[in-house]
Amino acid sequence: MLKVENLSVNFGGVRALQDVSFEVQTHEVLGLVGPNGAGKTTSFNVLSGTVRPTAGSVTYEGHDILKSSMHQRVTFGIGRTFQIPQPMHELSVRENLIVAQRFGRPDGKVKQERIDEILESVNLLHKAEADAATELALTERKALEVAKALATEPTLLMLDEVLAGLETTSKKLFMQTLKNIREKYSLSMIVIEHDIETIMNMCDRVVVFNFGKVIADGDPEETFRNPEVVRSYTGEVPA
Amino acid sequence: MNIKISALMLGVMYLGVPFFLGDNDYLIGLVASALIIAGVAVAWALLGNLGGMVSFGHAAFFGVGAYTSAVLTMDYGVPVFVALVVGGVGASLSSIFMMPALRLRGPYFALAILAYAEIFKILATEATGLTGGAGGLLSIPSLPVFAGVDFGTKLGGYIVILNIVTLMLITYYFIRRSSYGLALKAMHDSELATRIVGVPATYLKVVMLLVSAFMTGAVGAFNAHYINFLEPDYAFSGTWTVFPIVAAIFGGYRTLSGPVLGALFIYLVDQLVFKNLIPQGHQLILGVMLAGMIILSPSGLLPVITNLFTRKKADNKRGEAQHA
Repeated sequence: MLKVENLSVNFGGVRALQDVSFEVQTHEVLGLVGPNGAGKTTSFNVLSGTVRPTAGSVTYEGHDILKSSMHQRVTFGIGRTFQIPQPMHELSVRENLIVAQRFGRPDGKVKQERIDEILESVNLLHKAEADAATELALTERKALEVAKALATEPTLLMLDEVLAGLETTSKKLFMQTLKNIREKYSLSMIVIEHDIETIMNMCDRVVVFNFGKVIADGDPEETFRNPEVVRSYTGEVPA
Repeated sequence: MNIKISALMLGVMYLGVPFFLGDNDYLIGLVASALIIAGVAVAWALLGNLGGMVSFGHAAFFGVGAYTSAVLTMDYGVPVFVALVVGGVGASLSSIFMMPALRLRGPYFALAILAYAEIFKILATEATGLTGGAGGLLSIPSLPVFAGVDFGTKLGGYIVILNIVTLMLITYYFIRRSSYGLALKAMHDSELATRIVGVPATYLKVVMLLVSAFMTGAVGAFNAHYINFLEPDYAFSGTWTVFPIVAAIFGGYRTLSGPVLGALFIYLVDQLVFKNLIPQGHQLILGVMLAGMIILSPSGLLPVITNLFTRKKADNKRGEAQHA
């Protein structure tokens, strides 16, 4: 479905990504993990089109997406959220989704029933007419991020630390919401997350980054026992 | 409320002003001049409000529209009303040269556009064969007699520019309430949020620049036939950028009719009051007024009026409820 090959990104003298390769299969949930600054969000930025890579290729459903604009990538079915929520200012929650549907869907049609259904699925229907930038709590802003991406009818949803900053109960509820969404809309997902429990709970497979390189790729349980992965987090080798 | 105030304002402009001032050429001429600034202010605000682009170069569109229309009517015999539209088209075409600046943001965009405006002024001065050079164009045809009405008079000119501004407001209104308008409004403060859900932000900016340039060009074309004279320093003067910006911000550039209200208020008060008090340098007071407005009500005059109406309505309702 998604194939990333030998991706490299340089920011001046900083090599943010070096020869990164990974794949995502249909209906798979892939976790991207690694210490801060390892290159996870940079990978998302390349996939969504906010950063241009120095080298490498990315194909999604047969499309060479590095040759496509951000707008085209959304219509191919790639949706994403940001770690810091990015609501559309001056618009209500519903209007945020109207814009996402109008411009993100290939046919450009706005369907109010679909918007209500999405808002219901992220527990945001009661705030549909609220101002998106000023009247939402953190959990609701995170839910809006997911709802906006869903409104574009993606087949691949990329979630960038969508659970970060939430307290334990909200985090568990939100995680369940994400699982329900995955089932309901038959989505593939790429999840960036620091919380190991969340990764174990949600992901079918993980790719571990360190210093811009992929150092492990595989089953979550096995990967987290990999000495190199442990060293990347703790600096120590397990006994 | 905003749309009601716009309708009320247009009602006064269409009925009240001709009825009370129609016989006074000086006053009706002043209101027409204020509407010329209002037209540019609306076009400027459309670009600033929908798309978040602050332009310091609308004088370029004003000048190109004016010269296009003047040359077409003088050299090719094109009817004046047709030339007004083509003047707008000419200004839109000139904005194509500015498209590379759309990659820039904030002050960089504003300064790049300002540089383009200067380039157009130099071109108009140097293209002597077409524009008459620094000497300008004299005897530009007046607005014609059409359907028995002489639009070449002060009152006729007023009616024409009022219709142009009204059409601009209607266009602005329909753009703003469309899904394109929603996306453009959101782009003002959160462009990344719109891009990431598939909004082709650059394309929408291009369209807004073309529309804004067309509107400004049409107003510039009207002005050429209203005053019957053009020269580059006048047609491309920074006044056509600065005055509309002051008017739009003073009236409320993020509202539909705030720029019109701002232009009427600023220009008429300046000409009728401040100019008599301080014949030289009366514009200084405008600067002080603008600063005061930005400090007291950053969103401008129209939101202040809207709030007054809304509060009065709420007080009346509360009073009725207490009596009941």
